[in-house]
Amino acid sequence: MEKFRVLVVDDEIDFLETIVKRLQKRGLDATGVDSGVKALKLLEGEHFDVVILDVKMPGMDGLDTLKEMKRKRPFMEVIMLTGHASVESGMQGIQFGAFDYVMKPANLDELMEKMTQAYERKTLHEERKSSGRSGAAGSVRG
Amino acid sequence: MKIRGGQPRGRRLQLGVRGRDGGAISALNINRTGAPMSGSEPLDRAASSLVPPTGGKTRAKDSFDPIRHQLLTGAILLATTIVALFSSGAVLAVCGAALAAVHWLSGRRWARAIEKAREEKRFLDEQLIQSQKLAAIGELSAGIGHEINNPIAIIGQEAEWMRHLLQEEPGKTEEISDSLREIVRQVERCRDITQKLLNFARKMEPVFQGVDVNRLVDDMAKLVEKEAKLRSIRVIRIFQSDLPALFTDPPLLRQVVLNLLNNAMHAVGEKGAITITTSASGRDFVNIVVSDTGCGIPKENLGRIFDPFFTTKPQGQGTGLGLSMCHGIMDRLGGRISVSSEVGKGSSFSLALPADK
Ligand SMILES: Nc1ncnc2c1ncn2[C@@H]1O[C@H](COP(=O)(O)OP(=O)(O)OP(=O)(O)O)[C@@H](O)[C@H]1O
Ligand SMILES: [Mg+2]
Repeated sequence: MEKFRVLVVDDEIDFLETIVKRLQKRGLDATGVDSGVKALKLLEGEHFDVVILDVKMPGMDGLDTLKEMKRKRPFMEVIMLTGHASVESGMQGIQFGAFDYVMKPANLDELMEKMTQAYERKTLHEERKSSGRSGAAGSVRG
Repeated sequence: MKIRGGQPRGRRLQLGVRGRDGGAISALNINRTGAPMSGSEPLDRAASSLVPPTGGKTRAKDSFDPIRHQLLTGAILLATTIVALFSSGAVLAVCGAALAAVHWLSGRRWARAIEKAREEKRFLDEQLIQSQKLAAIGELSAGIGHEINNPIAIIGQEAEWMRHLLQEEPGKTEEISDSLREIVRQVERCRDITQKLLNFARKMEPVFQGVDVNRLVDDMAKLVEKEAKLRSIRVIRIFQSDLPALFTDPPLLRQVVLNLLNNAMHAVGEKGAITITTSASGRDFVNIVVSDTGCGIPKENLGRIFDPFFTTKPQGQGTGLGLSMCHGIMDRLGGRISVSSEVGKGSSFSLALPADK
């Protein structure tokens, strides 16, 4: 599997540390931060392929973080992580450009599969952009 | 275009020019013993400035009537010669031998006139499409205006009320924060509408990826399941296990499925069932059907549910953009969405996606 860069954003420090470790074990270049604000700050200087983003966080919540992320990095794919499944948040997340939803507690295999698909999408998107087929930047979801 | 000629009728020779569809465009009557023509140079000029029949609607009978013909084409037919009167005012006489040439040239001229008419038709067609587009935009604008106006009116009222409270009864912080909450809610609503419209306008090109349909549908079902349980709505899955491979845009398809599930939840309200079925039609299509035991859709609304802003939800609850978005997405994915419904029994929305891309 290709090694890609993953950012995990979750305010539950225990969960965050475990999952980052496990993803690294699976050969991914994974980083964790515990708030949306920190994630956005990190994105100023660094590049990630896929983000795992908790929906429910104090302060800046997942949806607001998602909106900001997609504005800054339209090609970066974001997978929402949610403890309490709700139609409303699902609808909003997908509308704002989330790639997928994963229910907590996340099964690692399932998460890996989704991240791989998200990464594939990002690559396809970028390839198309560089080959000029999609033309204007307006054709990009974000 | 075909030039038909040489039908002797009495002492006259008739020459007709036929359109491609066989209808007579024009015809000239001429006496066989016409006077010799006066040279080729004016003929050229004559042909190029010959006035084409107006509108191309000359009926066969009319076109053989010299006087009408004169009115229609600007050509004057005399007993022995054609004397063509051209728009330039030049007068030309031609006779038998030169007729073919005249007709060939004038035929070309008419061919050009027909081409011009076709262009005109194309132009008018485009105009029509354009005006239909404008009408659609007008309708859309009215919808947007209406949708955004309501929250704005509420925001205005609340702000006014807050100003009043702050001036007259500044101690009523509870009421002030109520108003603030309402304002935030209405702003959210405006944002929701504009976001949906932006998604519409963006027309992002789909990114096709291999998708496990059952898995994708199951994930979306999980998102509604918890809420469904609280409202005693059963979510039933009937999945075909050996579906053909599907290449589609996963997030776009998720959006469609989730919208259908959300509508179904709303239609059922409490107590009932939502059934999600996946199946294949041969190797060509994968179908996803979302059925509910909800209120159903009256016949008179069936044709309108995919229109932007069409909603029967109470003021402030639905944008009416859900299904039109689904329709737009299905178009872009090369698929189709259809509906069947019976009032009081329920509705069924079917998606068909091409299996191989
Ligand atoms: N499953 C259904 N059963 C009955 N009526 C439906 C169903 N789905 C859609 N409709 C009807 O079609 C209308 C338009 O649906 P659409 O999803 O476009 O907008 P909405 O649901 O009203 O608003 P929003 O999607 O923004 O919440 C609904 O208001 C409702 O009248
Ligand atoms: Mg809807």
